[in-house]
Amino acid sequence: MMMVFVVAFSLLFFYKSSGLFFLLLVATSFVDWGLARYIDSHENKGARKAAMILSLLCSVGLLVYFKYANFVLLNLNAIIGNNFQPLDIILPVGISFYTFRTISYVVDVYNKKIPATTNFLEYIFFLSFFPCLIAGPIVRADKFMPQLRENKPASREMVYGGLWMILLGIIKKAVIADYIAQYVNIAYGNPTGYSGVELLMAILGYTMQIYCDFSGYSDMAIGIGSIMGFDLGINFDFPYRSLNVTEFWRRWHMSLSFWLRDYIYIPLGGNRKGKFRQYCNLMATMLVGGLWHGAAWKFIFWGFGHGGALCVHKLLMPRLKKIPDNYFTNLISWLLTFTFVSLLWVFFRADTFETAWQVIYGTVTRFDPAYFPVFAQVRYTWCALMIIVFCMHFIPKAFYEMLRRWFIDSFWIFKFLVFIAVIQLVIEFSAADVQPFIYAQF
Amino acid sequence: MNKHFLGFLSILVLGLILFAGLSYWDEGIDLGDQHMKTATFAETLLTPPDTAKVTGNNTVAQQGTQPADSVTATTVQKTADGEVVYQAAPQYQDLGQQPMDTTSKTILFIGDSMLEGLGPRLAAYAKENGHTLINVIWYSSTTEIWGRTTRLQERIQEFHPDYIFVCLGANELFVSDIQKKRQKYLNNMLAQIGNIPYVWIGPPNWKPDTGINDMLQASCAPGSFYLSNGEHFDRSKDGAHPTRASAAAWCDRVCKWVMTKGAHPIKLNRPSESKARCRTIVYQPDI
Repeated sequence: MMMVFVVAFSLLFFYKSSGLFFLLLVATSFVDWGLARYIDSHENKGARKAAMILSLLCSVGLLVYFKYANFVLLNLNAIIGNNFQPLDIILPVGISFYTFRTISYVVDVYNKKIPATTNFLEYIFFLSFFPCLIAGPIVRADKFMPQLRENKPASREMVYGGLWMILLGIIKKAVIADYIAQYVNIAYGNPTGYSGVELLMAILGYTMQIYCDFSGYSDMAIGIGSIMGFDLGINFDFPYRSLNVTEFWRRWHMSLSFWLRDYIYIPLGGNRKGKFRQYCNLMATMLVGGLWHGAAWKFIFWGFGHGGALCVHKLLMPRLKKIPDNYFTNLISWLLTFTFVSLLWVFFRADTFETAWQVIYGTVTRFDPAYFPVFAQVRYTWCALMIIVFCMHFIPKAFYEMLRRWFIDSFWIFKFLVFIAVIQLVIEFSAADVQPFIYAQF
Repeated sequence: MNKHFLGFLSILVLGLILFAGLSYWDEGIDLGDQHMKTATFAETLLTPPDTAKVTGNNTVAQQGTQPADSVTATTVQKTADGEVVYQAAPQYQDLGQQPMDTTSKTILFIGDSMLEGLGPRLAAYAKENGHTLINVIWYSSTTEIWGRTTRLQERIQEFHPDYIFVCLGANELFVSDIQKKRQKYLNNMLAQIGNIPYVWIGPPNWKPDTGINDMLQASCAPGSFYLSNGEHFDRSKDGAHPTRASAAAWCDRVCKWVMTKGAHPIKLNRPSESKARCRTIVYQPDI
């Protein structure tokens, strides 16, 4: 009964955000559920493979049509000088996320990692689970299905731990990210009109905004899942603590980076076919990662940049290992990684390459440190929030765990007071222009 | 249902009741020197849904029946059986348009983020026609934000404009019971403008509003409100702001209207340049 109710609610949620495209989700669920059952019940390798390829063609085909058709047409026009009219396509919300989830399920069944479920309701529950529908995390069937079958009631730890995560997510998204975004939007809207310091702050601002926005959504989704009795794992692990790009991708949007590793990088050969092939695989994986974020050259460039950095890091690994591991070298490594990641976010955020270059060029050529105190004086709340987010990254994890434990074990009235304090904080910071979740756009 | 769920649900329900109760004070609560904002739960929960629709339909009806440059004040009445009746008021241009003033003006243009698109185009008009333009952008601003402060008056004292353009209202499209909440701030703004000729450019609705256009139309002097609602706009990716090209076309329509239908026509001939620079003051959003 609970499953029927949650599926109905999830579909209603999808219907409200994407209209009749919710039928697409139902159709994808039905086709992939059926094909996975076929794969599971047949031993003939050719038949199994054909069914898997058919499933991939269906799900990837839909994603490509809805997300990339106009991008392809636009580039074809530019290359061959044709004048194909763009198609009138609306991107269904969350299609990038549920497509990756359904791919992982079918491939895992094909690889005999998990058995195919015989219960369609169970499968559509997994694929349409509303907390993860819009912006992830990309939950895998091998972790989710057993929890669904176990049907364990949520413990005190899960219910109040979930509430803690939701409150944390609300603060990240509705207080920090939305507030920081207001200045970032202004600066990126007219980069030629700002000084180097102001543009630098916009770059750093977006670096923090995208983290708080996306991890805030993930925290809320994980928290809701937890209250419903599901452990959805973690999706961010203090990514800006990373000392190199490889580590960054182990901490940033973990459900996506592990998905890319398991379903693209490793099937392509991973590091098993020599160095050169490994670098090609890395580049291909990160280009797919970039393209997954959106049908635009700037996302491809962003993926290319990260792929290149991962290759360089792998290439230099033997030499880097010889460098002594101390505070100074760690500081340099962190600074290089953070600067690189922040710079690539400029291309991710800017509407065009031209804007991105204007932001970077303006930062370098119009930089005058004398603006720092003026900026801090005028935008002290903004700066204070930035400093808080920055410092939050370097507080030991044990401290967060202690706070979480403290919240869970506290009296009910304390939890209630924390809850109303957070909501009041959101009301105080709320602006007239509320920012949408950044990752919901993908 | 286990006791943990009950505890969790009681936090949600009591929290909702608390914030709904506090939102009765819709303008916030003053605690000594501190001002505490309140949410909008009460109005969302208690306002009958058709209240918003009536005013919303009103604007939609106007979109469908009136060309944008022949603005008509419309009164809305609802009959006992719920039928909405629209009654057209006299057109502004019938209420006494002054002859064209061809002298050079100092124009102050204030408003929200819509000025990003309108400002550069109006600057081109100013350059072409020998006017001096000062743009004042206050991001995320509303009639309440401007009306609570004396910033408009300060800028008037600083620049001594002899013509004012205002573009505000886009951040108030969905405020329910808007007249009760915003009329006094709007009146305060109009009082700060005083006798200076002005044009208030209405917001470029992307959805039916809850009454901002009606309130502006009713409050602005005849021939001083330009209804943008109902015009076609190509939107940028946020779905709200017109694209630069669409904003420029919007500005063209406003300027044409000022010259031909506005209460205080000034020289605003179409410029040869698409945009120009002018002095611009930017205020950040308040929290």
